Amino acid sequence: MRRWLLLGLIGIAVLSVPPQWYPRTWRAQWAEWFGASGYQPLPASTSVEDAVPEPACLEDLSGWREGQTIDGVAILPSPTCIADDPYAVAAFVRGTNNVSAQTLAASGLTADAVEKGADLDGDGDPDEIHIRLEVVELNGGSPELPEPATQYAIAPGIMPGFWAFAPKFVGMATENFESLTARPSLRLPSPAIRVEQGDRIRITLENGHYMPHTVHLHGVDHPFVDVDGEGNDGVPFTSEVPVMPGAARTYEVQPRTAGTAFYHCHVQPHVHVMMGLQGLFVVEENRPNNWLQTLNVGAGHVRAPSQAVREEFDREYDLHYLELDSDLNTRIQNTNDPRLITESMHRDYDITDATADYFTLNGKSFPYTFQDSLVVVAPDERVKLRVVNGGMNPIALHTHGHKVTITHRDGVASPLGARITRDVVALAPAQRLDLLLDTTNDGLNAYGSGIWLFHDHGERAITSDGIGPGGHISAIVYEDYLGPNGWPETLGVSWDPYFTEAYYRKELPIWQAYAPNLFTQAGVDVWYLLRLIVLAACLGAIGVLGFGVLKRPRA
Amino acid sequence: MIGGALFALATATALAQHDMTQHHGMVMNANAEMLPRDCESISTEHEFTVHAGAEYAAGFPGTTFGYSQREFLVEPCSRVTVTFVNDDAVRHQWMVHGLPRYLYPGGMFHLEANGGSNQTGSFIVPSDDRTYLVHCDLTQHMEKGMKAQLVVGRGSGDLWAIPGVSRAFNRDGYLPSAAGLLVILAAGVGGALAFALRRIV
Repeated sequence: MRRWLLLGLIGIAVLSVPPQWYPRTWRAQWAEWFGASGYQPLPASTSVEDAVPEPACLEDLSGWREGQTIDGVAILPSPTCIADDPYAVAAFVRGTNNVSAQTLAASGLTADAVEKGADLDGDGDPDEIHIRLEVVELNGGSPELPEPATQYAIAPGIMPGFWAFAPKFVGMATENFESLTARPSLRLPSPAIRVEQGDRIRITLENGHYMPHTVHLHGVDHPFVDVDGEGNDGVPFTSEVPVMPGAARTYEVQPRTAGTAFYHCHVQPHVHVMMGLQGLFVVEENRPNNWLQTLNVGAGHVRAPSQAVREEFDREYDLHYLELDSDLNTRIQNTNDPRLITESMHRDYDITDATADYFTLNGKSFPYTFQDSLVVVAPDERVKLRVVNGGMNPIALHTHGHKVTITHRDGVASPLGARITRDVVALAPAQRLDLLLDTTNDGLNAYGSGIWLFHDHGERAITSDGIGPGGHISAIVYEDYLGPNGWPETLGVSWDPYFTEAYYRKELPIWQAYAPNLFTQAGVDVWYLLRLIVLAACLGAIGVLGFGVLKRPRA
Repeated sequence: MIGGALFALATATALAQHDMTQHHGMVMNANAEMLPRDCESISTEHEFTVHAGAEYAAGFPGTTFGYSQREFLVEPCSRVTVTFVNDDAVRHQWMVHGLPRYLYPGGMFHLEANGGSNQTGSFIVPSDDRTYLVHCDLTQHMEKGMKAQLVVGRGSGDLWAIPGVSRAFNRDGYLPSAAGLLVILAAGVGGALAFALRRIV
């Protein structure tokens, strides 16, 4: 009986082998004898339910986008959907110790966040500047929550953990007690710092983070030690012990040369720099009445440019590129104990095996880059772009519809005759380029009005963990292509899928929205699946029975 | 991102309406006089001096920051005066949540002190037995130890993850790297013992 059962099972198993598994020569011979097999329709398409998109651009209820004058500070209009807080801009220009109480309150800054003092050279602007920076952790771990604490999404549903230098803001780190979302001012990247050539700058790092940190002024003219003989270079094994949790240190600089520089933490920099502790540091040329926007939160549009920039350019943008390795950035979410986090990040994590997964421009990935990191222009303008590559890989920055001119490399002006105009510019890690974007429609500098992308042409950077469009894609948008709410009036496909978490979780067929018949999800081949299940069941039974049949019964 | 404008307006309004001493920090929503609706009078006066800083994490492994006192027991309808002393060189906060919103905008009483400074403020608690969250809301300060509870009357149960009071809801694993091998070894030993016992029995 058992043998017959075994034979039956073998027969069923043979019959359930899917035809596509038969050797190709057998199938060819079969077709030669009997012709092709009859038509079997392929599985029907199954439509994946579209997720509800979040709004791409909310109404500007606060009036932040408008050009305005606050405490005597003329603040340029910011045409993008989300604009910087103009009260914070005014406080950064006047100094948080000089603005009115109402403006300071509206900015949310502490009174000592950016203090401005005496006009040492008598040219009408302050030359003593004291900047205080804290370290914030966003999307970090929690001993209670199942999700990240103090959340900041770089794109729908994407919340890698990171650290950033931040100005001092009073009150809560979240929007309110009921919300886990970080207040808008706490974000990536660390703010761009702007100071004037020759100013006496003091930067105090108030380290409220659970790890030691420093500030290294990369490319900024600074002495190795300060006037008291204390280390001033921010490097733990050459100039100073790092600033421990709860402690503070002041760095002093009086830069003699202007240019676009960089600042970053130099404690375990292969981890701390890549976690986001880095920012642009711009030294502006000395001019009379040069009231600078000392901090540009989130980088991007400079709403109160320097006198030197106003003389030569119509607009100015800070563009900060940073890539993130999720293998690193999730480590602060997986445990809460600082000892375990330190072990994980500084002993277990190996950057030599690292691969970047997320790519940000000014702290956002597509489509959020279109909310606040567009380069908005008009025809016949000269636009200054200050670009830094904060990642660990080179960037080949390509501008659609335009060729840009490299005017400065690492803060040093290129001779006029040696300036290069091109549509792909390369940035090594930590390198800065000052670019002139000339929107004259002459077929060389620009091809006319439109919505012209700019992005790294190393194609992985235009994805978010391999899903495109993503990464740090943004665009040069002409004002006549910008809607009244600051959102570009695109001509292509619907952006709704891009504003869903499901799209970036790889759950939505990428062209379903506009080619539903062609590219929806293919259905399941039920018969194929059934054959596999039967085959597996038969093989299992055959194994058990076969062992029993062949086994010699005990005497 | 979303709601940023409303957030700023709310912050501005809140800051403009309430007591502030911004050069060294702030006191928000101080209320030493107005009684909650359910209180007829002040029942008791409580005064606490709370120190904050990295040194107060010393007794609690796996934390970085802490308060000198992590539990505050008060009677219903009592007036609580807190002097918050920041012993660090960075900002810290002593923030209570869940108070009646008609008296405390956002349901919050908030002391914030710059490094090396202190702030004092008072508030009056309602009559119901309830446990209120007290914490520092700078990023990761609560998560890394700066958390306490204000227990009014009998309270409403301990909150999670308060150093010295309650355990973490998400407790990290603290196992040696050879833990897997030890578990397998233990299973083998257990099996061998069972086999041996079977022979004996």
